[in-house]
Amino acid sequence: MSAQGDCEFLVKKARELVSEDPWAAKAWLITARTLYPSDFNIQYEMYTIERNAERTASAGRLLYDMFVNFPDQPVVWREISVITAALRSDCQDKHAQFLRGKDADMLLRLGCHPPSAPCLCFLTRVSVSRLCVSGLFETLPGRVQCEMLLKATEQCFNTVEKAEMLLLLLRRFPESVVQHGVSLGETLLEAESIEDLDTPVNCFRKLFVCDVLPLIINTSDMRLPPSLMYKYMHKAAEFYIAYVTRGPSADGQLPGSQEAVGLKSPSAHRGSQRYVIDGLTEKSSLVSDPWERLLDILAVVGALCEWQGDKASRSYPEILQRMKKLCRYLPSLEGETLSRCRSQVVTCAALVLFRSAYLYVSTVQPSLFQAHCSPGTGPWILVEDLSSVYSEVDLEKSAKHAHKKCKLADSREKTVSSDDEEGLGKGRNRHIVLSKADVPGWAETLDSFRTARESWDLLHSHEALESEFSKICSSWKTDTWLWLRIFLTDMIIYQGHYRKALTSLHQMAAFQPLQQGPMVPQGSLEHQRALIQLASCHYALGEYRLACEKLLEVVCTLTPQAHDPSRTPEELTRSTRTKFRKGSDLRLLPCTTKAVLPFCLQLMLACFKLRAFMDNRDDLALGHVIVLLQHDWPLGEALFLKAIDKICQQGSFQYENFFNYVTNIDMLEEFAYLRTTEGGRVQLELLPNQGMLIKNPSPSLGLVSQEFSTLLLPGAQSAERHHTVTRGITKGVKEDFRLAMERQVARCGENLLSVLHRFCINERVILVQSLP
Amino acid sequence: MSDIRHSLLRRDALSAAKEVLYHLDIYFSSQLQSTAVPIVDKGTIELVEEFIFHVSKDRNIQLKRMSSMQELQLLEIMCSYFQEQSKDAVRQLIFSALFSPQGGKADDSRMAMMGKLVSMAVAVCRVPILECAASWLQRTHALYCVRLAKVLVDDYCSLVPGSIQTLRQIYTASPRFCCQFITAVTALYDLSSEELIPSSGLLEMVVTWITDDPRLSLITFLNMPISANMPLGSLGITPLVGLVRWCAKSPLSYKRNSKAPVANGHTGKLARESVEEGVDLDPLYSKLHLSVLQILLMLQAHLTEKNLFGRLELLQFEQMVQLVEELGRLVEELNPLNATREIELSLNRLAQVLQVAMASGALLCTREDLRPICSRLPHNNLLQLVMSGPVQQPPHSAFQPGFYPHIHTPPLGYPPRPSTPAAAAHPAHPSFIPGMSFPYRPMR
Repeated sequence: MSAQGDCEFLVKKARELVSEDPWAAKAWLITARTLYPSDFNIQYEMYTIERNAERTASAGRLLYDMFVNFPDQPVVWREISVITAALRSDCQDKHAQFLRGKDADMLLRLGCHPPSAPCLCFLTRVSVSRLCVSGLFETLPGRVQCEMLLKATEQCFNTVEKAEMLLLLLRRFPESVVQHGVSLGETLLEAESIEDLDTPVNCFRKLFVCDVLPLIINTSDMRLPPSLMYKYMHKAAEFYIAYVTRGPSADGQLPGSQEAVGLKSPSAHRGSQRYVIDGLTEKSSLVSDPWERLLDILAVVGALCEWQGDKASRSYPEILQRMKKLCRYLPSLEGETLSRCRSQVVTCAALVLFRSAYLYVSTVQPSLFQAHCSPGTGPWILVEDLSSVYSEVDLEKSAKHAHKKCKLADSREKTVSSDDEEGLGKGRNRHIVLSKADVPGWAETLDSFRTARESWDLLHSHEALESEFSKICSSWKTDTWLWLRIFLTDMIIYQGHYRKALTSLHQMAAFQPLQQGPMVPQGSLEHQRALIQLASCHYALGEYRLACEKLLEVVCTLTPQAHDPSRTPEELTRSTRTKFRKGSDLRLLPCTTKAVLPFCLQLMLACFKLRAFMDNRDDLALGHVIVLLQHDWPLGEALFLKAIDKICQQGSFQYENFFNYVTNIDMLEEFAYLRTTEGGRVQLELLPNQGMLIKNPSPSLGLVSQEFSTLLLPGAQSAERHHTVTRGITKGVKEDFRLAMERQVARCGENLLSVLHRFCINERVILVQSLP
Repeated sequence: MSDIRHSLLRRDALSAAKEVLYHLDIYFSSQLQSTAVPIVDKGTIELVEEFIFHVSKDRNIQLKRMSSMQELQLLEIMCSYFQEQSKDAVRQLIFSALFSPQGGKADDSRMAMMGKLVSMAVAVCRVPILECAASWLQRTHALYCVRLAKVLVDDYCSLVPGSIQTLRQIYTASPRFCCQFITAVTALYDLSSEELIPSSGLLEMVVTWITDDPRLSLITFLNMPISANMPLGSLGITPLVGLVRWCAKSPLSYKRNSKAPVANGHTGKLARESVEEGVDLDPLYSKLHLSVLQILLMLQAHLTEKNLFGRLELLQFEQMVQLVEELGRLVEELNPLNATREIELSLNRLAQVLQVAMASGALLCTREDLRPICSRLPHNNLLQLVMSGPVQQPPHSAFQPGFYPHIHTPPLGYPPRPSTPAAAAHPAHPSFIPGMSFPYRPMR
C-alpha cells in the first residue's frame, strides 16, 4: 500500500460516514491527518465537511491551515477566490439571492445521496452560499484575513481584480493603507495610461478616485507631497466631471429598449440611468453624489496643502466668493506662497466653473446627459431678445449704430481678447428674459450661468492664473467637451463678443454630430440650435443678410403647427410689455417649433425693419415688413401705421407678393382705404403681373415669384390666369384689385403661421437678396 | 490538646463537633500566619475522629453518637463554615484535616459524612466546598474518590428522577470539581459489568459537558503546577483514560450485556433503559469519541507550552495495555460473527485514539510497542495502519511532521504555526513521534 492508497482509504471511510455519523467521519479524518499531515485531500475533506455544515468558525480555521500548508493547491485558491468574490460582490444583488436559493435547493437534493466525487466537486463550486463563505472569512482573526487577502492579491493577474482585492484589504485594515495605498493608486493610474483609454471614466480611474483616494487622503499618518496631492485632486476632478457629463448610455440603441424609449414608462427611464463602466460591475460602476465627493476631496486636499481660508466653507458658490477675495492678495504674494495660492485659486475656481457650467448646460441642453428628457425640459437657446421689435423707438438710432457696430466688429476681428468690449459695451449685467413658467428652476439655472461666468472671469483675471488654468484644460482636453463649448458660446454671446461667438458656433458645429450622435434624431430642432444662435449673432452684429440666410435655413426645417389657440392677446401683451429697457437683453428661447418660428419671424422683421424705414425708398423691404407684422398682430400696429405713413408720403407702393401673404383684415382694410380719394389715392401695385408689366423689374425675379405663387396657390391659379389672359395693360386693374381684395378677405381665416412659413420658404431667395 | 479534649468530653455530641470546628479554625489560622506549610498533626486528627466521626483510639470510652437530626445540623454548620471562611488555604486545610482518609476505622464514617456534605453542597450550590472536594479528589486514592462519585451518582442519578439537572449545574459552579467528578465517574464505571455501565442520563450529562467544552477535561491538568507529583494511586490528572475506555469498550460491552439477559430470560438494564427512554446511545459515544480526539490534539499544544512534551504521559501505556486486554476478552466473549460491526467500531476507535494520542504526545510509546499487545485482537485495517505507521513520504514537504494544528477544537487563541516560537522550541523531535524511526512497513 502506498501513502496515497492509505490516504484514499481514510478519506473514503470518512465520506461513507459523513451523513449517518458525522462525528465518526471527523474522527477518521483527525486520525488520518495525524498519520499523513502533509496530505492535502484529508484536510480538504475536513474543510468540506465543516463548510457544508456551515460551521464557519472551524471551516475558516481549516481553510487557513490549507492556505498556509498548501499554498500551491489550486483548490485552495478556488475557495479563496469564491470567498473574495463574495466579499466583493453586491450581496443585495437579486441575481445573487436567486443563485443562493438555487444552491440551497441543489444541496438538499444532493445531500440525500452519498456524494460521489463529481457531486462533491459540484458542491464545492456552487453550493456554498456567499453568506456562508463571507461569514467563514469573518471568523478568521484580522491578521489572518490580512495575510490571506494579500496572498490572494498576489495571485491576481488582472489589475482591476487585484485592485479590488487590495481594496478589500485596505478597507478592513486601515493601518495597511500607509503601506499599500499609494502604490495601489499608482498602479491603477499606470494601468490607465498603459491601456490608453479615451475617457477618464474607466475602471482604473474609478477605482482610484472613488475607492483608493478617499482611503489615502483620510489616513492621517500619510504625509504626501503637495504635488502628488494636486495630481490626485486633478485626477479625481477630471473623473468626476467626465462621469457627470458623460453622454447618455448607449443602451437606448438596443432593439429591446428602443420600444421602452417610446413608452416613457418609469422602468424605461430607470433603464436609461443604468450605467456600467467597462470592466466593473453595475454596482461598483455607480458613483453617488459626484460633486459632493469632489468637494470632500477638495476639503481634505486643501487642508493637507495648507490652503488659505476657511476650511469649513462647504458649497461651490461659497468657494468662488472665497477665491475672489483671495485673488485680491495675489499680486502682493511671491515665491512659494504665490504658487500655492495660485494653485488653490485655479483648482477651486475651475471646479466651480465646471460644475456651474454643467448645471447650466444640463438645463439648456439636457439631451447631452440624459437619454430621455421629460417634455418641457429644454433645450433652450440663448438669443437676442426681440420682444421690442414691434416698437418704433430705436429705429433711427440703431439704424446708424448698426453700421458702426458692423465696422467696429470687422476692424477688431483680429484682436483676440478684448474685441468690441466698448463697442458693444453691454457685456456686463445683461438681462436674460425667459418664461418662468416654462423653465423649472430658472433662478438656479441663471445663477449657475452667472457663477460659471464669474469663475471664468476670475480664472482669466491674471495671466498666471490663466496659464495654469489652460494647463488643466489642455491636459483634460476640455476643447473636446461639447457641453463646455455650449456654455462658453453662451457666455461669449452674453458678453456681447458676437464675432467670437460666431467662431465658437462654427467650432461647435464641427464636433456636434460626433457627440450628439445617436440620441437625437436627425433633423430635429436641436440641430438648429446653433443655426439660430448664428442668426442671432449675425443680427446683433448688423449682418442682416447672413442672419436671414441662417434663419431661413432653420425655417425650412420647421413645420408650422395649427394656430395655437392658447396664445391669447393678453399673453402676448404681457410677454412684450415687460421690456422697454434697452435693446440689449437676451432671451432663453425654448427650442420648439412653437417658439422658434415666431422668433424667426421677429428676427426677420428686425432685419428688414431698419431697411424698410430708411430714407431711401425700399418697397420690397417695406412689403416684407408688412407681411411680417401680421404676426403677433396687433403688437405691430404702430409700426404698420408708420409704414402706411411712409407709403402715403411716397404716394405709391409696389409689392407684388401682397395678395399672396397679407391676410390680415385690418391691413387689407387700410390698403383698400389708401386707394380711395380720402386715403390719398396712393398708387398701389400689389398684383404680381401688374408690377412686372408696369415696372418691368428683373425678369428672372418676376418669373420666380410667379412660378412660386402659382405653385403655392393652386386655388387662385386659374383665376389669375384668367385675368392675365383677359386683362389689358392698364385696363381692369381696379377691377382686379377689387377682386383680389375680396378674395383676401375670404382668406382671413387661414392659419397665419402657415402663410408666413410659406412666405419664408417661397420668398427665401428674394428675402435674402433684398438685404445688403 | 488534652485540655480541649476534656472540655469536649463534657459537651453533647453536636456542640462538641462544633467546638472542634471552631478549634480547627483558630488553630490553622494562627499556624498559617507563622509557617508557610502547616502540618496537620496527629492530635488534631484524633480530635476530629473522636468528636466528629465518633471513633476513638481509646476503646474504653463510649462515645456519644449524634442523632440524624444532629448530624444534619452539623452538616449545615460545616456548609456555612466553608461558605463563610474567606481564606482559601484555611478552608483547604480544614477540609483536608476533616476528610483525608487516615487508613483507620474512622474512614468509613469520614467518607459517609463527606459524601453527605458534598451532596448537600451540590444541592445548594456551595462552590467553596466543591472546590475543596475537587482538590480532595486530586490528592486522595482513587478508591475513595470512586466512593464519593458513587454517592453523588446514587443521590442524583438514581434516587430521585429529574434531580440529575441539579448535578448538571456543577459544571458552571465549579468546573474543577466537574472535571474531577468525570474522572472519578469514568474510573468507577469501567463497563466491566452491567452494573458498571453508566446510566444513559449520566452518560448524556458527561458527553454534553465534554462536547460543550472540551477544555473542561483538561482543567485539572492546566491548573496543576508543572513540578507537582501525583500521589500514588490517585486518579489521573485527566479523565481521558476513562473516557477512552468508555468509547472503545462501549460497542462491545453493550452488545454483551444486551445478549446476556436473553440467556437469563429477562431483559437487562441496558436494553430496558434504551427502550424506556428511547435514547440512542451510539451518537453519544461517537460524539464523545470525537471530543476525546480533539482534546488529545489540544493537549499537544499545552504539553508543548508547559515544556512537558514527551515527559508527561497522560495516557499511560499500561492503561492502554489493560484496555486492549479488556477489549480482547470482550471480543472473545462475543461471537465475532454476530458482532462484526461492534468489533469493527471498537477497534476503529481504539486505533484512532492510539494514533492521535501517540501523535499528540499523550501516549509515549512506539508502534513496535503496540504490535505485540494488539496481536490478540481481530484484524482491523485501521489498527493495522496505525501499528505499521504511515508510509514514509518523500521529504519534499516543508510540513513539520511533529506538529498538527488544532482542528475541530474551539479557539484557544490561534493555532500556532510551524513558524511560531512554540513549535520552533521542538523543531526536530522525531522521537516524540512514535514510529517515525521505523522506516519499513510489514505487509498487511
